[in-house]
Amino acid sequence: MKPIMPSTLNLGKTCIKENGVMAEKIQIDVLTLDSVQCAACGYMMESIAALPDDIQDMIQYSEWSIKNKEGIGKFMELKGKVLPSICIQGDLVFESIIPQYEELIDEMAKRAPDEAVRNRLVSLRDEGFDFAKIQENLKKAGSGLKTKAG
Amino acid sequence: MAKQKFIDAVRGKRTASAPWVPYAGMHCAFVINEPADKYLQDPEILARGLVETAKKYKADGIPLIFDLSIEAHALGCELKWWPDNVPSVTTHPCSDKTPSEAGLQMPTKDSGRWPVIFEAARIAKPQLDELDCGLIGGLCGPLTLASHLAGVRIFTDVIKNPKFAAEVCEFAGRVGAISAQLYAEMGCDVIAIIDPVASQIRSATFQQFVTPNVEPAINAINGAGKTSTFFICGDATKVLKDVCELNTHGFAIDEQLNMNFVRDLAKEHGKGFGGNLKLTLALSLGLLSPREDAIVSLSAGGHIGYTFAPG
Repeated sequence: MKPIMPSTLNLGKTCIKENGVMAEKIQIDVLTLDSVQCAACGYMMESIAALPDDIQDMIQYSEWSIKNKEGIGKFMELKGKVLPSICIQGDLVFESIIPQYEELIDEMAKRAPDEAVRNRLVSLRDEGFDFAKIQENLKKAGSGLKTKAG
Repeated sequence: MAKQKFIDAVRGKRTASAPWVPYAGMHCAFVINEPADKYLQDPEILARGLVETAKKYKADGIPLIFDLSIEAHALGCELKWWPDNVPSVTTHPCSDKTPSEAGLQMPTKDSGRWPVIFEAARIAKPQLDELDCGLIGGLCGPLTLASHLAGVRIFTDVIKNPKFAAEVCEFAGRVGAISAQLYAEMGCDVIAIIDPVASQIRSATFQQFVTPNVEPAINAINGAGKTSTFFICGDATKVLKDVCELNTHGFAIDEQLNMNFVRDLAKEHGKGFGGNLKLTLALSLGLLSPREDAIVSLSAGGHIGYTFAPG
């Protein structure tokens, strides 16, 4: 049986860790053409949406489709070069490479806001993707909802 | 319109001018003012949109349908339909088991939406022939279909669980061969193996999981006397040499690649090549002049094996 990790309380941009200390959530931005039309973009989004619940509590993510002005703005702001790309804490990390689970954890851990969050992420390295809440998580991230041009 | 010119270009031959192929896809529904979900499920509407679009754009070739959920749907994956886009695959039957453990069976011409596509081709093909416009059948490539079947875990499994990944990709490759046979039976002139996510992996992974699993479809296409091509999206620079080494007649790429690099590699391997018009930057967003982009593409593409097409 896998160990049960202490839960976190979700408070928008921050989460409360088990010791009661507030920590910033890790910001993930996925730059896409359109996660509905483009399969590669869709699976880039899914790689984040399929992270297990304990990690979902520690991250905040959005899809930025280049088909709308907000998405173009974010692409420029993050200095995007190719689509799709995953940015973690403002760094372009996965450019036209759909990441493996462990690669995602390692890159998030490198950019964790503090030691405790980093340790928790590393402790979840063997957890693996969880497909149960993908659709719910994609909806929360606005995936596919702002992909029209204009 | 000139179907033979298009076929010659995909086969890497010299053409008097570059053939023009709009990968219209859901734009065909827009042209006849129909919602995408209705368009993709009604053969008469689909055929009408296809023929109207071929006429409107004076196409030398046009895809019968550009929807990578067809195979997944025929295998039992659930879809989310959209009024302005292709459907999304929402369930992955191999997320925790192999295709054989999941009880997946090879599709037939009666599975999923294949009857709709057959009927649409039956209606549209004679009209397109009259217009001298080639018909393209587009099947879902092995890695994209494996992603639909297993979900995003497939990109981890190719490293951590290669036996499982190989089983899913091999199954997907055999499904692709059936799709190729079906499109050949419909009378498609050119059959494209469309594997967009194959650009999102490293070259070694491509050689291990994509190369062997496109072979069944390529053999089915070439064996039926049709023209084969491989479509890849995204920044495929790192795997483009692997694409050129496939046994297809040609390949097509998207707007993110450097056209001179693509042309030189295609020429070195004797392949036809196409795509690269800036679909997003010019045609969708208007950030570049579509006219200037077209001139640049035509200049770089040249007259040997080049198809003028969106990326």
